[in-house]
Amino acid sequence: MQNHNFENANILLVEDEESLAKGLEYNLSEEGYLVDIAKDGKQAIEMFDKKEYDLIVLDIMLPYKNGFEVADYVRKKNPQMPILMLTARTSVDDRVKGLEVGADDYITKPFHLKELLLRIEGMLRRKSWYTKAVNTSPVYKFGNNEINFETLRCRHRKHDFQLTHFEAMLMKYLIENKGRIISRKELLENVWNLNPEVETRTVDIFISRLRKYFEEDPSNPVYFKSVRSSGYIFEPD
Amino acid sequence: MRKPFSTAKNLIIFIIAQLFWLALVGLWIYWYVSNYLIFEKVGETVSPQINIQTPEVFPFVGGLILLVALSFTMVLIFRHLNLQIRLTSLYDNFIANITHELKSPLSSIQLYLETLRSRDVPLDKQKEFIEQMLRDTSRLQNLINSILEISALESKKQKTNFVVKPAAEFIPKVLKDAAANFRLADDVLIINTNGNNNILVDEHSIRMVFDNLIDNSIKYCNDNLKIWVNIDCKENQVEIDFRDNGIGIEPKEQKNIFKKFYRIYDDDIPNVKGTGLGLYWIKGIIKNHNGKISVFSEGKRKGTTFKIILPVYKNKKLLKKSSAKED
Repeated sequence: MQNHNFENANILLVEDEESLAKGLEYNLSEEGYLVDIAKDGKQAIEMFDKKEYDLIVLDIMLPYKNGFEVADYVRKKNPQMPILMLTARTSVDDRVKGLEVGADDYITKPFHLKELLLRIEGMLRRKSWYTKAVNTSPVYKFGNNEINFETLRCRHRKHDFQLTHFEAMLMKYLIENKGRIISRKELLENVWNLNPEVETRTVDIFISRLRKYFEEDPSNPVYFKSVRSSGYIFEPD
Repeated sequence: MRKPFSTAKNLIIFIIAQLFWLALVGLWIYWYVSNYLIFEKVGETVSPQINIQTPEVFPFVGGLILLVALSFTMVLIFRHLNLQIRLTSLYDNFIANITHELKSPLSSIQLYLETLRSRDVPLDKQKEFIEQMLRDTSRLQNLINSILEISALESKKQKTNFVVKPAAEFIPKVLKDAAANFRLADDVLIINTNGNNNILVDEHSIRMVFDNLIDNSIKYCNDNLKIWVNIDCKENQVEIDFRDNGIGIEPKEQKNIFKKFYRIYDDDIPNVKGTGLGLYWIKGIIKNHNGKISVFSEGKRKGTTFKIILPVYKNKKLLKKSSAKED
């Protein structure tokens, strides 16, 4: 394995099952990551407050504070922190709840080692891309809108609001590819790292949210236009 | 673990249903009385020669009895439904917990096997991984066995091997073995015995009892766990007091803890893992030994005491009875 460029990335592994934690720590260390283990939700929050991490691998069923509570706390403090939820729960409700509180990805136990490592690498790659993109231009303006990609705060006319992590990622991707038709498949693969065969509605839902935030008349979009049977195009000018 | 099930919502629905029902009864009485008056007036106008008798009370009283009976039926249905909802909620919780308990060691085994297949693992690490996998398989085996044994206990098909043991020697040995399995420090478990008497026990089952009690003490203790066990051999019974310095149990919860799937949610130690079967199983085992188990706790953060009473083995009748049961 080990064919990535994210060595020395700091990973916080929150897993109370000692056996699983040890096995994961070994594998992540072998990949070149620096791993800290938290055995419960309370410890995870303490460690998160003390040190800067690049990614969190988070179990849901944890003592003291469960994974949802930890994700919620982390997301409030750092909206851009990539969180990979690792859990035995497989229900749609749990998945939806996990993604709602801000998890970026969700993998169920038992999992394949290769798949887990690929997902971690994908998340770190997206984080790296996002950070670079934000560093070059943290504030973006178009029409009556202003977006701060560091704080995820936005302004539409006099109305202030907060973007979610994925909304910001999508927005950033659209800005970087403005004036070009982008397919749903491309967005799903590059923004969400999801399988385009099964999740096509996700993009439409997020685009519709962006229209509500930034368009004067969301039913007649000027900036976020649909291109029949092709995808979307972002035209800020 | 999810937070405990609440009946408040169902109670509100029930009260609204009852109010609706009472309104219907009122409406029915009003309808009956007003119709009777109309009939009386019409009767007098149309045919004054018809002699209208005094009001017929039978249908009125009969109707009221019917309505009261229906109300009672509604109460019964509500109670039954409430019980079903509560059981479903406990069962859902159990499924979520058991899924976690089964999948965690399975994931760990899969992870180690895939690691060994895909990496050049040093020999000492390989040994460590194999030990870890063996511990995980043993954990899976224990969990599956416990479910099967509870099922056998419930259907009274449990295979038992009752033997006579001296309580003051047997119980401390079982306790020490359990403490060693849980890797407890030497000063955690303090055992005191008073006298000695024979008891008739199925060794495997009694081991399960103390394994579960120690496991609970570990799970429900914040730090510096201490367990005191007092074994008092009286003339007719052996009394075992198993006391810990854990978070304790509130009085209102104490009657529920032996129920199947029941789990306590405590803010001091939220999300404790488990299946909700341990104490239910223990109670079944002790009952199978013609004994009794009870719990006492002064409240939260004041520790918990389980009192187990086992009958002293005096004659051979009981032994014969148990042998016959085995056959």
